[in-house]
Amino acid sequence: MSVTADRGAGAVISLFGLVLYFGVIPNFVEAVDDGWVLPATIPNAVAIVLIVCGILLILKPTTHRPQRMIEFQKAALYFGLLAFGLLAMSYLGFTYTAPVIALVLMLLIGERRPLWLILGVAVLPATIWFLVVYVLDRALP
Amino acid sequence: MVDLATILAGFADAFTLWNLAFVLFGVVLGQFVGAVPGIGPVMAMAIAIPFTFGLDPLPAIAFLVGVNKGGLVGGAVPAVLMNTPGTPDAAATAMDGYPLARAGKPLKATKMALFSSVTGDTFSDIVLITVSAPLAILALRMGPVEIFALMIFAFSVLSGLIGNSLIKGIIAAALGLLCASIGSDPENYTPRLIFGYFELFDGLPLPSVAIGMLAISEILRRLSQIRGDMRGAIELHDTGNPDDRRVTWAEYWGCRFTMLRGAVIGTILGALPGIGSTAAAFMSYASAKTTSKEPETFGKGNLHGIAAAESANSAVVGSNLIPLLTLGIPGSVGAALIISAFMIHGIQPGPLLFQDQGRLIYGLFGAMIMANLLNLWVGQLGLRFWVKVVSAPESIIFASALLLCIVGVSMATGGIFGVAIMLIFAGLGYLMTSFGFSVVIFIIAFFLGPRFEISLSQSLALMNGDWSKLVNYPIALALLALSMVSLIWFLSRTQSDDLPPETSIEE
Amino acid sequence: MTLTTKLTGLLAGAVMALATAATAADWKPSGTLRLQIGFGAGGSTDTMGRVIAKVMKEQTGWNIIAENKTGGGGVAMFTGISKMPPKGNVIGMGVNMPIMINLVKRGDQLPFDLDSFDYLGTVAHAQLALVASADAPFDDIAGMVEYAKANDGLPIAFSAAPQKFLMSAVDKEAGAGFRYVSTKGGAENMKLILGGQVLAGFGSGEHLQYLESGDVKMIASANDSRHNYAPDTQTVREAGYDVYVDPYFFFATTAGTDPEALAALTKALSDAIASDEVAEVVKNATQTEALNLGPDTTKQMLVDGVENVRVLFAD
Repeated sequence: MSVTADRGAGAVISLFGLVLYFGVIPNFVEAVDDGWVLPATIPNAVAIVLIVCGILLILKPTTHRPQRMIEFQKAALYFGLLAFGLLAMSYLGFTYTAPVIALVLMLLIGERRPLWLILGVAVLPATIWFLVVYVLDRALP
Repeated sequence: MVDLATILAGFADAFTLWNLAFVLFGVVLGQFVGAVPGIGPVMAMAIAIPFTFGLDPLPAIAFLVGVNKGGLVGGAVPAVLMNTPGTPDAAATAMDGYPLARAGKPLKATKMALFSSVTGDTFSDIVLITVSAPLAILALRMGPVEIFALMIFAFSVLSGLIGNSLIKGIIAAALGLLCASIGSDPENYTPRLIFGYFELFDGLPLPSVAIGMLAISEILRRLSQIRGDMRGAIELHDTGNPDDRRVTWAEYWGCRFTMLRGAVIGTILGALPGIGSTAAAFMSYASAKTTSKEPETFGKGNLHGIAAAESANSAVVGSNLIPLLTLGIPGSVGAALIISAFMIHGIQPGPLLFQDQGRLIYGLFGAMIMANLLNLWVGQLGLRFWVKVVSAPESIIFASALLLCIVGVSMATGGIFGVAIMLIFAGLGYLMTSFGFSVVIFIIAFFLGPRFEISLSQSLALMNGDWSKLVNYPIALALLALSMVSLIWFLSRTQSDDLPPETSIEE
Repeated sequence: MTLTTKLTGLLAGAVMALATAATAADWKPSGTLRLQIGFGAGGSTDTMGRVIAKVMKEQTGWNIIAENKTGGGGVAMFTGISKMPPKGNVIGMGVNMPIMINLVKRGDQLPFDLDSFDYLGTVAHAQLALVASADAPFDDIAGMVEYAKANDGLPIAFSAAPQKFLMSAVDKEAGAGFRYVSTKGGAENMKLILGGQVLAGFGSGEHLQYLESGDVKMIASANDSRHNYAPDTQTVREAGYDVYVDPYFFFATTAGTDPEALAALTKALSDAIASDEVAEVVKNATQTEALNLGPDTTKQMLVDGVENVRVLFAD
């Protein structure tokens, strides 16, 4: 049996199903004495399906191949940028963080033309601010 | 029932310049907020409702209906042009709309979406205006057991969407169902899988999951593929053939059966509250694909795919008003907001509505017809604008889409918490797509999960836990039998196509 | 106590009251004031909340927005509010019953208790009714219990935990064998009754039009008192089962908010509730008159309510 992406995914999913069934559900779903569909009924059914299907996937994988590692790394980089941006936004607010997020994002994408950069860093956040605060009358994060 | 004079008076009320102006404003606003990633017509309606207090009931409700209908057309725009649907029903439109747009025909793709949306919407409006009363009685007869059987039938049709691996499709559905069970259980309202975050008591916020899974994960994927050269987010090839920029009559007419089927599916599911436009769009898409002579062209820019999805999800909005006006039951959040607008003006939708407020209701119908025509007209102009916008460089488009999604989800969910959940699901969506698990199946299971669970619970309560009592429910039995047939048929059709390449795996 | 101390006390009190009144007029929220509604868009709570926010905004000139924070009938929203810094820039609008029941059932898990909030007032008292199909072979609770016993139980549509607790309490005493059909709201309860799938169910306003059209009849008031539109229908309590629910729509903010801010918020809110516009919406949404208990009585109502729930719905 060779190691394929599907076999790896199947193993992870089965393991997740097991953790769910024996660890998570007993601790985070309340037990009640009466009812037709108990709080744990559906989650338990899902956990069993995940365990079984995960094993089946290990036995009968498809030829699917995920993209190259470099793309995963790049996606992770952008994900990290957004996560960090959100964290910053929760302390400093949209007004201060949005231009920075936009700038870093555009530079990472490879944009170097000053006009577009200015559009993204200044005009875009200002437009959103105007739209949300003035037109829609809502609060920005 | 309502007499002819009232009907005519109602229509006459509707067709005034004043009302036209409100409907037009509603349609323009709806198309705009529907097209901007992350905002959507529901939020626009919620914000607008208190301001309709000062208006007369008819312009107020006509305006909201305009926003709702405009949002349908607008919602297809980001799905088709950028593959970043803001709502799950638009994800069905993206499946063929985006490939067509990428092939250099964004205007053709969005126009097909516009035409089929207005077609489906008009179909269900006509059904609403003519036969809502008998349909409402029929809908009343569809009790929990029948709805449960109908959901099983829906799932069996949706199995047509499962790609080349049944196992992976089931895993995606199971994960969606699991996420749907986060929140509270339907019978005892106990907190479930919320890990101490009582903010999740009502379940994961829907906009966070939908936008994270469908839009942000796609943006992450596209960002990771950029290699430094600055391109437009969508490229317009000038082929010199004007037919690539419009939908010809022959093409539209060729999709008539697809649109009709979509409109019928959408109308039926819209009249039965609780199942909703996501299931309608995907059921219509799955049946169009499996009954097509060339199913392999679906997902590659087939106009029938766009027509199927858009006609169905738009038809839901019109027929959602059937249970709303006759029984006071909202079939969606948009419909609930329209009830709220009625309530503000002291009008309670329900059995006496046609009798007490016949003139207003026919005025509303008149406004709906206006809204459909305006949708077509505003759409024609608006689509050109959006195609222009999206042909700007990827750097600015993705930066604005991300910021707008952050702001939109934060407004819709009331804070950064919802945005954090959006990001988590963006990561999950990215991983699932990378490893070949269908995000679409996950989303369908996630959106239908709560209704499925509560229908199961209701059915068991009614049958006292005894499945043999199903014999008392002939409609449910018929639907279950139909499900078996369609499941076998759909699976045999989708699985057989994809088997051959399996041979080359083990080297 | 001498006269002087009495006078000083009185004087001090008067000065303080004056000071509060004066500063209450001066205080304004820093930035946007958020009126958070603990229920989804489109319901009666949402409709009232949005109009109150609009009227408050017009009357005070403050920047006020209404937003929905759904989850557990307000538990999710009050969780959020209890964790915020007490800056006077948020008001929560919820219904007391779900909060009280959750405090009793899982108070140890909740991140808040009644002391986590400063209370501002109420807007209305909701009337919850048990109704049945017009052709149901019973007219009151006693008949319903009897019918259920004779027919191997009776399905009842309910859409919130308090309704189930109420019927369970009746069932425990009567042994009627009720079966609970869980739904997503009062309108769905009515649909099941009209469709003939269940004989009885709960309505908090949704049932009124069907009462009028003659499709349903009222079996009992679930409140402690009879309903204003049905003075002849008994309460569940009058029918001999010592349980009731008393839902109020109330407002609160984070505990520890500056008294000046509290006074200003309370005043702004009570001015808005006293307006004709809000009175009309309350009437349209709940079929009752607007009712503001004021800050102190609201708090007392919740404190007493929790004790009541503990007794009434004890396992």
